[in-house]
Formats: sequence, structure tokens, C-alpha cells
Amino acid sequence: MGENLKSIMVIGGGIAGIQASLDLAERGLAVELIEKSACIGGRMAQLDKTFPTNDCSICILAPKLAECFRHPNIKLHTLSEVKSLSGKAGNFKAKLLKKARYIKEDQCINCGQCIEKCPMRVDDEFDMNLRKRRAIYIDYVQGVPSIMTIDRDNCLFFTKQACRICEKVCEREAIDFEQQDEEIELNIGSIIVATGYDIFNPKSIESLGYSRYPNVITALEFERLICASGPLGGHLMRPSDKKEPKKLAFINCVGSRDIKNNPYCSSCCCMYTTKEAMIAYEHDNQIDTSIFYIDLRAAGKGFREYIQRGHNEYAISYIKGKVAKILEDDQRNPLIIYEDINTSQVKQLDFDLVILATTMVPKKDAIELAKILGIELNEYNFYRGNHFHPQKSSKEGIFLCGACRDPMDIPTSVIDASGAAAKAAEIVMRD
Amino acid sequence: MSYNYFLGCVIPGRLPFLEASVRKAFDKIGVNVGDQAKCSCCPDPTGAAQLDHESFLVLGARNLCLFEESNNNVLSLCSGCTETLKTVKFILDKDKEKKKDINSKLKLVGKNYKGNVEIKHFAQVLYENLEKIKEKVKKPLKDLKVAGHPGCHYLRPSEIMNWDDPLNPETLDRLIEAIGADPIDYSLKNDCCGNPLEKSDKDISLSMLESKLQSMKEAGADCITVVCPACYQQFDFNQREINKKKNTDYNFPVFYITELIAVALGIDTEELGLNFHRIKVSNILEKIA
Amino acid sequence: MQMVDFEFRNEIIKEDFSLNYCYQCGTCSSACPVAFITSGEYNPRKIIEESLLGLKELLIKDQKPNVWLCCTCQMCVEECPQNVFLTEIFEKIKNKIVQLGEPYPEAFKVQAKAVIENALAISLTPPITRRREQLGLPRIEFADINEIKKLLGATEFEKKIKLNGGK
Repeated sequence: MGENLKSIMVIGGGIAGIQASLDLAERGLAVELIEKSACIGGRMAQLDKTFPTNDCSICILAPKLAECFRHPNIKLHTLSEVKSLSGKAGNFKAKLLKKARYIKEDQCINCGQCIEKCPMRVDDEFDMNLRKRRAIYIDYVQGVPSIMTIDRDNCLFFTKQACRICEKVCEREAIDFEQQDEEIELNIGSIIVATGYDIFNPKSIESLGYSRYPNVITALEFERLICASGPLGGHLMRPSDKKEPKKLAFINCVGSRDIKNNPYCSSCCCMYTTKEAMIAYEHDNQIDTSIFYIDLRAAGKGFREYIQRGHNEYAISYIKGKVAKILEDDQRNPLIIYEDINTSQVKQLDFDLVILATTMVPKKDAIELAKILGIELNEYNFYRGNHFHPQKSSKEGIFLCGACRDPMDIPTSVIDASGAAAKAAEIVMRD
Repeated sequence: MSYNYFLGCVIPGRLPFLEASVRKAFDKIGVNVGDQAKCSCCPDPTGAAQLDHESFLVLGARNLCLFEESNNNVLSLCSGCTETLKTVKFILDKDKEKKKDINSKLKLVGKNYKGNVEIKHFAQVLYENLEKIKEKVKKPLKDLKVAGHPGCHYLRPSEIMNWDDPLNPETLDRLIEAIGADPIDYSLKNDCCGNPLEKSDKDISLSMLESKLQSMKEAGADCITVVCPACYQQFDFNQREINKKKNTDYNFPVFYITELIAVALGIDTEELGLNFHRIKVSNILEKIA
Repeated sequence: MQMVDFEFRNEIIKEDFSLNYCYQCGTCSSACPVAFITSGEYNPRKIIEESLLGLKELLIKDQKPNVWLCCTCQMCVEECPQNVFLTEIFEKIKNKIVQLGEPYPEAFKVQAKAVIENALAISLTPPITRRREQLGLPRIEFADINEIKKLLGATEFEKKIKLNGGK
């Protein structure tokens, strides 16, 4: 393989970006992996288990993260964003803004002394704002690179010229407040966009009471609550009174297949609500779950059997009937009013905890990045893929994979990533 | 353009004291509204209008023609009338065929619908004059816990009514606040009062009313305020029916928002005919004195 | 045995195309206050289902569910993820029930009669007129009843609603 082949830039360090990077690196091509946050891992790192095998998510992900970090062909740029792009396929020039970490990367050993002493408390985004982190932090315990970051918007030194406790307690002298943001120029042959998704905020669906009732939460919040590395250490307690919930309800299609919100199907909710119910049951076999659905979209291999197992072995009742109304009694138990379409009866049931499966939506900054890269968005603001070849963006040399182009689950994202990697490699290896 | 009142049937014919409060409130805040002669039933969107679509359109269009001829916008006293007139306008403005057909019938009485007047609910015009109301408050209704009931036809269908948020309305609460009272939150605020079902099934109608009253009671309301005469009747006339059936003791005084506004702006309660309410309002008047 | 009547279904679709969009999710029934009180015996989703299937007899003759129980609160319309205009569709069904001479609640007929005879659902009685004077309210001139008669004659209102019985 020629050594003067250009490298390939992969934007986004989630499972899709990681898979694409590894594919390319393994075949001897150089990869610049760009990640906006301090650690790679993306949404998959936030999950407890993955369907349909119910494998531990981080256990599957971590080896790939480690591989990305130590692979000689992959250069990892965390805390970095693409700010401008010029050129054409085969010869792009990208300018990155790399934010200062304020940590000496070769000194920090992730011992955690600084975290214990930092006085600032900030909403923890990784944990869906369910708990607080410090101003010096690592995204999540198994995060790669395995070093700290200082959040300068919330650090007392940057906001008030005070504190510096972390500097005092760090035995490796790894804190460096003098660091500056850097501009990095890259010359690359092709680009893969793998920036992932956000979730729809169900606050706007007034009648479900998401922002009014403490015991109505989103699926990603629930995932953090049952995850052993999450804010409750995996012991499920409900937000209002910390009681152990015994009656769970999952509502599918919240904001999805809905002309007033997101007309498309979010593709994973039917599967992951079953998964979350199964995990809850494994923690506490007194838990009874009801899943409210319009259709059960379990189309992948083994998916239908997964749902069947949920019904037979994990005390899950599947009720056909989308929910429009949630009320609350004076114990803050959510009350769901629904029609059971199989019997045409309209009833009210009380639950201890209600989980809303909300739509996968494009990231907020997708529009800006599309402008910078010069690629088109579709009518839902996902990156527009070519009709017959969905991994091709509207610009030659730029490819798309994963949930940034269409809602998709983890196995599909991995396949998608390998496809995009093959196409990106072609560009770099021609003539 | 200026406004003329569209009074409907129920208010002038059964609840004239509500009409008095609207007229006096608008007078006091300085909005001039005239009277429109020769109106007919709008027709009632929950009643006769359901029997034949064409007749519904032709009666509604005739009413709108009157306003077009006198060159005035419609200021409606009733949510039902507002919905009917806005729906007729919405349909005829969009569907050229229907408009032609209706106009061919209107021609028989020398009228022609053009579509150039606006229709506004009286609460919308009040809300548009929110600052004026706040300025002129003489007697703020402090500590009065008011359960605002926006009702259904005030808001929905949102494509046609095009006013407040259909599932999370706030304009009525802002009006309550503007006169110094406390617009309480209660769980069934957006639910229907049940009045339209009186025509088909009185029991269900009363069940719906009871749910609302229960919710208001739990939230600690002192009184109820409405913007529609159908809701007014349901709340003022039928609390007694429920008490008889269920051995409860609901006794919330019911006010049109303009009655509360008139009191807050210093208008003498004698002039407002508050004694004509079925549920006595004297304890509320004492509370705010 | 219920037969599917395609003509009936197409008639409704012609007047309101949004019927086609329904994917029977049940959101409307969840949002409907009457469905809740009647535990689903009144059921908006079912009315739409029967319309989609063209089950004319069930809707028009048997009136199961009874479309006259719709309280027109329009919560179903606001919550429907497919923008199906349910209340409008229910109105079309009510119009058909009336036209085909099937029974409908008396109170509607009473109101219609008042409008035909007085141009108003509720006319002013002498006590009310006195009370209006007491409150300082102006005298109101309502519609010329002949105009209303002409218009409602042109739309054949009286005939359609079977004011005097018969089909």
C-alpha cells in the first residue's frame, strides 16, 4: 500500500465512526478521527445493554475504543470540531478547532483525586442531567482517552480566577491552565460523517406531562438509571420518592410517526423498550411491565423471537393502543388513559413509572456542519444520502453512516459504517 | 376596521347580564364596539349545524355578509359562534366551488359573500388590550383563586381558531392575572365541560362536569371563570343537578371573565346583574371587597 | 352480516380526504373524554375504522358507536398524529344519518325547528326583554324570518332533517 496515500477524516466518535475508523486503519489507511466531546464512545456508551442479545454495551464497545486509541493508523482528535472545509474529493483541506483540555495528556493517569476535591457541581450531560459532575471530569468512567478534562465554562479558575485546587492535589502535575485552543489544518482525501443523533424532547407533547410529572421519564434517562455505572448504581428507584417501582409502562412512538412532530419511524423503539423491560425484570422479578404500541416493528433477525421472549419470560404485556393522556394521582403515580384496541375498551391504569420512547432526531448542530461541509440535508434535517446509494452524501468524497443519516440501531450502524469506509477508501486509493 | 358585536342567541335571550358585562368592560377600557342588526342564529356548531352542512354554511355566510355590508369586523360574545363563523370563513375562502354554490343561494336574498371581514372572540380582543386593562384596574381581586376554563371551541380546532395553544392555553390565565387574581392550575383544565352532550346523553354530560368540578375542588378554587355561554350554563345551572345525584356539595360561583374584569375596573356590581346568577356570588364579592 | 359498502366509504372520502390517513393507532380514543367515561363504548377510533371499512349499516342504522355522543371538544383532532379531521368526518356521518331518515336525538330537531321558525335557537321572551331594559341593554333587531325561510328553502333544510317525521 502506498505511503503517500492521503488520510481519511471521520467526523464523530460513536460506534459508527469508530467502526469506520477501525475498518480503514486495518487496511492500512490513515484515519483522522474527530470527536467533539472529551471522550469517544457516543450513545452506545450510555446504554446498559444492547438488543437482541442483551450483551453489556460497554463490554462490546470498550475493546473497540481501546483499539481506536492505540492503533498506529488512527489519530484521535477529541474536543475538536471541523470549522471549515475546502477542496474536492481526493484533496480536501479541513480546519479544525481543538479546544484546550487544560490537562497534560501524557501525565494524567485518571486517578480521580482532582474530581474528589473540585468544588463545582455541573449537570452531567452523559447521565442525562440526572446527577452532577464536577468542573474537572471524565465523560464516563471507561472513557477513552482515559484522561480528565476541565470544563472552562464552569471552572472557578476561568470564571472567577479562584480555586486551582485540582492543580494542588494532582500528584502528576498534569493540570495546565495555560493551554490554548488550537487550530489544526488537515489535508485529507475523503470524509466520513458519523455524528449520530439527539433525542426528541417530549416536553412539547403537553398531554403526556413529561415536564410536569416526575415519574414520567425518557428511555435514555431510564437507561442511565438501570445502568450499573449510572446515577443509581443500577438499583432502580423512581424520581419522586425513591421507591422501587413495580409497575412500569413504556409508551412507544412518542413524537414518531407523527405529522405534528416527526413523521418518520424511529426504528429502534419497539426493540429497546422490550430490552429495557427485560433488564428491569432481571434486577427485580416483581416488576410487571406494559408496553403501549401502534405496531410492533421487530423486523431484524431474531427480533420477533425477542419480543416473544419478553412476553413469555419477562412479564411484559404488549397493549396495542397509543397513549395520548397521562394524569397523576396524589402519590405522584402516573395514570395512563388508553384504548386497548384488541378489546375496544378505554381504561385508566396506574403505574409507578412511565417511560417514553422518543424519536431519534438529528443533532442540533447538524445544520451548521452541513453548511460547513457543503452537503445537503433532507426534509427532516438528517444528512441527505443518495437515493440508490445512501452512504453517499450530496458531495463527492463525503460519505455518511449511522444515525446521522437515518435512525438506525447498532448492528445497522456498524454495517453502514463499513460500507462508508469502503467507499471512502476508494477515493483515497484511486489513481 | 372597527368591530360590531355578534351576540348570538343564548346570551341576549337567556343570559343578558353576561352581555351587560361585556359591553361595560369594553366601554371602560375604551374599545368602541357597535351593534349589528339582523343577525340570525350563527348556527350552533354543536346543534343544528350538525344536521346539514349546506344549511350551516348558508346561514353562517349570511351573517358574515351583514358585517361585510356594514364594513365591520366581528366581535363575538360566544365561543360557539366564533367557531361557526371562523369555520364558514375558512371553508368558503378555501373552496371556490362551495363559495360559488353558497353565493348562488345568498343571491336569493340579495347578498354576496366576499370574505373580507375578520372574526374575533371577545377574549382575544381583551387580551390584545391587556396593558389597558392592567392600567385601569381600580380594585385588584387579590387572593381570589380563579379556575380558568378556556373551553373547547375557544381553542380548537387550532387550524381554524388560530388563537391560543390548543393543548396548553394561557390567554385566559393572563387575563385573570391582569386583574390581580390568581389563575390556579388544575389537572383537567383543558377538558370539555360536557355541555354539548346535553342534547344526546345528559348522564355523560354531567359526568364530564363532575370530573371538572372535582379537579377544581382539589386545586382549591374559589370560583370559576368562562368565556362561553354554553360553558356558563353547564357550570352555573348544573352543579345543583350533580349535588342531587351524587350527594356532593359543589358550590362554585361562575363568572364570565368580563364580569370579573368589570368588578376589577371599578364598575358598580349593581349594574352587572350579578344577582341573576343561579349560584350566589355574594361570598366572592365579600372576599374581594 | 355486515357488508362492506364501498360507495359509502368513498362518499365520506370525497367530502373529507383525511379519512385515508388513519393508521388506527388509538390516540383519539385515548384523548377522548367521552370514550373514557363510557369505557370505550363510544369510541372515535372505531367510528373511523367502520368508515374506512364502509360499514354503513353499523354506523348509520345501528349507530354503534353512537356518533351523536361526540361532544365536539376536538381533542382527537389536536392529538391525531396523522391530521385526520375526526369531528368533520363525524359531522358528515351525522348529515347522512339525518338525510337517510334514520333516528337522531330529539333536541337537535327542536333547535332546528326554532331556527326555521324564529331565525334563532333561543328567542327573546317578554321577561327577558324587561330584564334587558333593566340592565340598560339596547333593543336588538334580529333577522328577517322571510330571508331565513328563503335560504333554508333553497338548501331544503326542512326536508332533509325530516322535521315532520318520515323518511
